[in-house]
Amino acid sequence: ETPHCLVHTMEVEESSTHPTTALREFGCEQNLLSRPDGSASFVQGDTSVLAGVYGPAEVKVSKEIYDRATMEVLIQPKVGLPAILSLSAGHTRFSLFYLCPVSLLLSRRYKASLCVSVCLCVQGPQLLACSLNAACMALMDAGLPMRCLFCGVTCAIDPEGHIHTDPTAAQERESRAVMTFAIDSAERRVMMSSTKGSFSVSELQQCIAVSQRASGKIFQFYRDSVSRRYSKML
Amino acid sequence: MAAGYNHSVEPLLKYRIRVKKENCRPDGRELGEFRTTTLNIGSVSTADGSALVKIGNTTIICGIKAELTAPPVDAPNKGYIVPNVDLPPLCSSRFRPGPPGEQAQAASQFIADVIESSQVIRREDICIEKGKLCWVLYCDIMCLDYDGNILDACIIALIAALKNVQLPEVNINTETELAEVNMKQKKHLNITKHPVGSSFAVFDDTIIIVDPTAEEEELSTGMITVVTDENEKLCAVHKPGGTALSGEKLQDCISRAITRNREVSKLINEVMQSAKLK
Amino acid sequence: MRETPLSNCERQFLLTAIKEKKRLDGRQTYDYRNIKITFGTQYGCCIVDLGKTSRVLAQVSCELVAPKENRPTEGILFFNLELSQMASPAFEPSRQSELLVKLNRQLERCLRNSKCIDTESLCVVSGAKVWQVRVDVHVLNHDGNIMDASSIAAITALCHFRRPDVCVQGEEVTVFTPEERDPVPLSIYHMPICVSFSFFEQGTYLLVDPCEREERVMDGLLVIAMNKHREMCSVQSSGGIMLLKEQVLRCSKIASVKVAEVTELINKALENDKKARYVFEFL
Repeated sequence: ETPHCLVHTMEVEESSTHPTTALREFGCEQNLLSRPDGSASFVQGDTSVLAGVYGPAEVKVSKEIYDRATMEVLIQPKVGLPAILSLSAGHTRFSLFYLCPVSLLLSRRYKASLCVSVCLCVQGPQLLACSLNAACMALMDAGLPMRCLFCGVTCAIDPEGHIHTDPTAAQERESRAVMTFAIDSAERRVMMSSTKGSFSVSELQQCIAVSQRASGKIFQFYRDSVSRRYSKML
Repeated sequence: MAAGYNHSVEPLLKYRIRVKKENCRPDGRELGEFRTTTLNIGSVSTADGSALVKIGNTTIICGIKAELTAPPVDAPNKGYIVPNVDLPPLCSSRFRPGPPGEQAQAASQFIADVIESSQVIRREDICIEKGKLCWVLYCDIMCLDYDGNILDACIIALIAALKNVQLPEVNINTETELAEVNMKQKKHLNITKHPVGSSFAVFDDTIIIVDPTAEEEELSTGMITVVTDENEKLCAVHKPGGTALSGEKLQDCISRAITRNREVSKLINEVMQSAKLK
Repeated sequence: MRETPLSNCERQFLLTAIKEKKRLDGRQTYDYRNIKITFGTQYGCCIVDLGKTSRVLAQVSCELVAPKENRPTEGILFFNLELSQMASPAFEPSRQSELLVKLNRQLERCLRNSKCIDTESLCVVSGAKVWQVRVDVHVLNHDGNIMDASSIAAITALCHFRRPDVCVQGEEVTVFTPEERDPVPLSIYHMPICVSFSFFEQGTYLLVDPCEREERVMDGLLVIAMNKHREMCSVQSSGGIMLLKEQVLRCSKIASVKVAEVTELINKALENDKKARYVFEFL
């Protein structure tokens, strides 16, 4: 059986009504590896991430949790040993570790084990957001029952107080604060938030609103790429 | 495991119904009420600075040790602050001996982030000579009794311990190029910001309670920690997954966090004052 | 996560097929799977696909370090092969498995001990500063023959890599960014490539480029590293199988043909990438 691959990119243009929700071009490919139960790569600007999901499978007795499925998240940086993670890679690991169980219907799967393995192919800015998107697409590809989808959006606030979604490496470096949110597809609420730098309450609320708007584009992209993939198969 | 078998759907439901009906938690607190917070500084005489914090039963001790070292190559005018959170088996039956677990690692990283984001100490201030000598502050935070909400307690302990630190004066002898430490001249650190954290436990977006106990943390469907400084700026909005929250609910959390900041700042100042009088 | 064990009938089926000179994917005994070489956006990033399944990524990076004391004028080469759990559920993270040690050792023997890279050209200031070139190889999908794929990915990535240009003035070392001065390629003498042969039924049957299923039923493995000048760089036999002199010689002949083909392929891929980059720069 040959794995079915599909590459497709979509340019998300700056819309005139919401000038701050501009996202760079992103692309994804699902089911590109044969061994994992689900896999996806997600490319966003200069960052590209590969994610693979195994499971549900039998869990080791030593790792078993009596009332829920065991989750494992592994991050592999492209350069260097996986044991020594950079701060942003470490963040990504914890975020996925806490985020995946919420979107997945895991509570009834006692004694099951699930492993999300993420390989960071190009370590660019917004690693976290990109990894979240890749992981979500891999979970979808694995066909696991999910409560909702999630996507990651990064916002940066520059010294003048302007908000940039999907900042470039240079914008991120010059910014006063950087925030990454995971937004759920059901009600567009904040599932995860991770912030750096200090900012005011109204700036936070603006960033959340902007991320919620931007998330719509990403979910539309998920939908488009999946429907395109299955329309070819049928 | 002792922490175990009461944890199923039933107690969660019971808890939720009771809390909703009576607007009151098992320990008699209201939903937005913190446990009594006590603070003691200078509790460890061998450390350069230390503090002990209790929030209800949760007990956290923080010791700071200062050492001299060479500054990092990529930032020659900065010193180091190295926080480490330890959750030993002593504090709860849920932790096992061995290398730090997920929660301890996540807590260490969170504390490091708060230091970086809030600029508690400007790292330039602890550099002695550019490219040659700087201080490294090892902030060891240890939990002695785990009863939920350790992140808040860790931040209070850290700030109080940093305020307690007195560093000796160091001069570099121009002839020998060796560092000379003058133990008689000691100076406090320049603490520029006072971040204070407030943790909330979320139950399916209907109930948000502040300062959860270990049991409440276990039953909750999500946690969120908001860190603010004295100028009402946010330093961290840390939500590692869990139930999704709307912007309005988040706003409620932030408002509560701002009032909490005033309470804790007052407490730290009072304790510092009384320590000085002694 | 545990690997699904191979059932007895599956094992029987595979071995019978091999006896009848048939392979699962329809290849002939000496056929290699289709090799696809692609490059990342960064210099020194190379992805090698064997067929549609085995996939390996290599990334080369470099930094300035102090040289080893006994070799003050030589740069340092560092290889690190990782078996990520993404490649196969059986790979345990953070454990030095036998397979991992074997693969890492073989990669070092193939690429470092064959002296294919001029390490002296990596010296910046003798005894003080040299380049450490680091090759990270990640197995992304394991469907057999990781060794060959890794060696191809590693050497291609090394050929593709460009290190920053440096300028030495007295004690001061200036490292130029790619915008200031074009980065320079490494000087590579030759390109050793590993070719794996698997043996079945105590060496009676031989297959080139085994897939993962075939690797599970094989008795022994012979890995020959060779360059296109038909110079052998390393020969390693594992699995405790006795081989006749004739068998080894026959394998080396096959290897020389395969290596010539693969080298050709790598050069073509590098050429294409160079053209693509050239066009991209002038757009």
